[in-house]
Amino acid sequence: MKRFLLALFALAIAMPAQAQDKLVISIWGGSWRDLVAETVAKKFTKETGVPVEFVTGGTIDRLNKEKLAKGNPESDITFTTSHVGWLYANDGLFEQLDVSKIANAKNLADEARISPFHLGAWAYVYTIGYRADLMGGMKFESWDDLWKPELKGKLAAPDFDPSHVIAVSALLSGSDAAHWEKGQDKLKALKPSFKAFFTNDANSQQLLASGETPVQIVLSMNAYYMIGQGVPITLVIPKEGAVLGIDTVAIMKGTKKAELAYKFIDALYDPEIQAEIAKLKKGSPAVLNAKLDPEIAKLPGVFSTAAQWKQQINIDAKLRAEKTAEWRKWFAENIMN
Amino acid sequence: MNSQPYLRTFTAPAVLCAFGFLAAMAAVLQFSLRAYVPGSLEPGGFTLANFADLLKPLYARVFFDTVWICFLTAASTLVVGYPLAYALVRMQNAIARSILLVIVVTPLFLGEVVRTYSWIIVLGNNGFINSVLRDLGIIRAPIQFMFTTFGVVVALVHVTMPVMVIMLAAGLSHIDRDYEKAAESLGAGPIRTFLTVTLPLSMPGVVAGVTTAFAWTFSAFATPQLIGGGRVNMISNLVYQLGFASFNFPFAASLCVAGLALTIVVLSALRLAARPLENIRPH
Repeated sequence: MKRFLLALFALAIAMPAQAQDKLVISIWGGSWRDLVAETVAKKFTKETGVPVEFVTGGTIDRLNKEKLAKGNPESDITFTTSHVGWLYANDGLFEQLDVSKIANAKNLADEARISPFHLGAWAYVYTIGYRADLMGGMKFESWDDLWKPELKGKLAAPDFDPSHVIAVSALLSGSDAAHWEKGQDKLKALKPSFKAFFTNDANSQQLLASGETPVQIVLSMNAYYMIGQGVPITLVIPKEGAVLGIDTVAIMKGTKKAELAYKFIDALYDPEIQAEIAKLKKGSPAVLNAKLDPEIAKLPGVFSTAAQWKQQINIDAKLRAEKTAEWRKWFAENIMN
Repeated sequence: MNSQPYLRTFTAPAVLCAFGFLAAMAAVLQFSLRAYVPGSLEPGGFTLANFADLLKPLYARVFFDTVWICFLTAASTLVVGYPLAYALVRMQNAIARSILLVIVVTPLFLGEVVRTYSWIIVLGNNGFINSVLRDLGIIRAPIQFMFTTFGVVVALVHVTMPVMVIMLAAGLSHIDRDYEKAAESLGAGPIRTFLTVTLPLSMPGVVAGVTTAFAWTFSAFATPQLIGGGRVNMISNLVYQLGFASFNFPFAASLCVAGLALTIVVLSALRLAARPLENIRPH
């Protein structure tokens, strides 16, 4: 019994020591975890000798867990979407960043500087993706094309976040996301086009791959993944621009490994790592000095210059964090049901 | 022999769990009475506004749809499950019975999401049913099964079937075969024997199965979410869509509380209505 207790004591002492020797990253599971593991984490471990451990989960699960662990975070670094990052920041879960400690951050695109607490890690767009083989030669040049009568019962959009279509409707009504009410009538007119609403990336992919909804307001990275799987999807950037999406990185408040965390973020913004991320996920690098493979750079929804970033429809992340619930409720009451 | 000490020891984990459950329920109730603060995870002051919002026609309709889908699922599962349970109990061939048991129980070993995805493959526009009907020349354009109440109920029946069959089989196995033999010896045919003896005596199993199927379906999430595609919504889907997906936890909590209250009311009404059936005994 005494030996057993001694062994347990030794184990208790050893465990925190081990925890000091690794950097814990909170991120979505699956391909997102793999993306970071195969690029920046590999480089970071090579340079510092510190291994990286991943805590994975959905956006809301991770947010809730960190809220419960406030002051003693489960992870040292968190990847999350830009507007959700504001919820972390508003709740005091993120450390205020000292950007001078991230040398590569000087090359960040303006749009990727989300707040003093979180910065863009990579970008993508929500845009029109469609199955040309099922749409009889129909072309999409403007967001307005979604309102065409031929699209009745053919369109799908995310059910978890209507901000893209709300911002687009406001824009087409001569307004913007901050004054989204002006686009309400326009959005109501789109109701007949909707056939279904998808819950997650897998659901979106299934609906497009099966042709159940041949047109979608789709995440560009998802569309490229499906194209890679042989699904004939055409991705277009409407003349008004696509809706910009940014995944961000932040240091958790209360972490004891802040210095390592800064090194990790600096490695993330290494132009070669950013180019690799762009290649693997067909997304846009957050820094402007990444040298993209020309085949990647020419893809719709991939942008690498300051001018290209500015061409997209950029919904302010703080506004989106504050409005998501209101938008979601209005959308459920007026469009989905 | 005094069994009290053992009783206390054995029930201690359950009591502990009950306290944990009660604490969680208290937290949900507390959240449902707090205001949502845009852009913040912290709820505001106490308010009844979340419950006032639930009076909107949209929410009333989803609550009604939930009860209706539960009713359709329970009734359909009973109709399909009864012959299976009967065969399971009465079949003489042990091998055939084992095969049937495996077929009935297998869905329990698959997750709800996997089962639902299999139904997407079957019910889709280019799915199994539409492809067969098209190949046979019966239809030209696909029949819309996905994103309809019909599609959701079909998938839910599959999800609920094992529970219903097991409960019906338990009820049927308790029937003394001598009563059926007595009916037959008095000249009743198989159908009359079934309708006047077997079916009434199996009512306790039917009531237990239907009640369980109803309650089981009430909390369904993945199936209506994926097959319903946002077009057919149950309470759990609304909780996810309006609460968690938009971080409005107070409103999500009020939906949960209202959903729980509705479940208790509906199940109590069901129990009350079924009480005469439960008490059927051989005279």
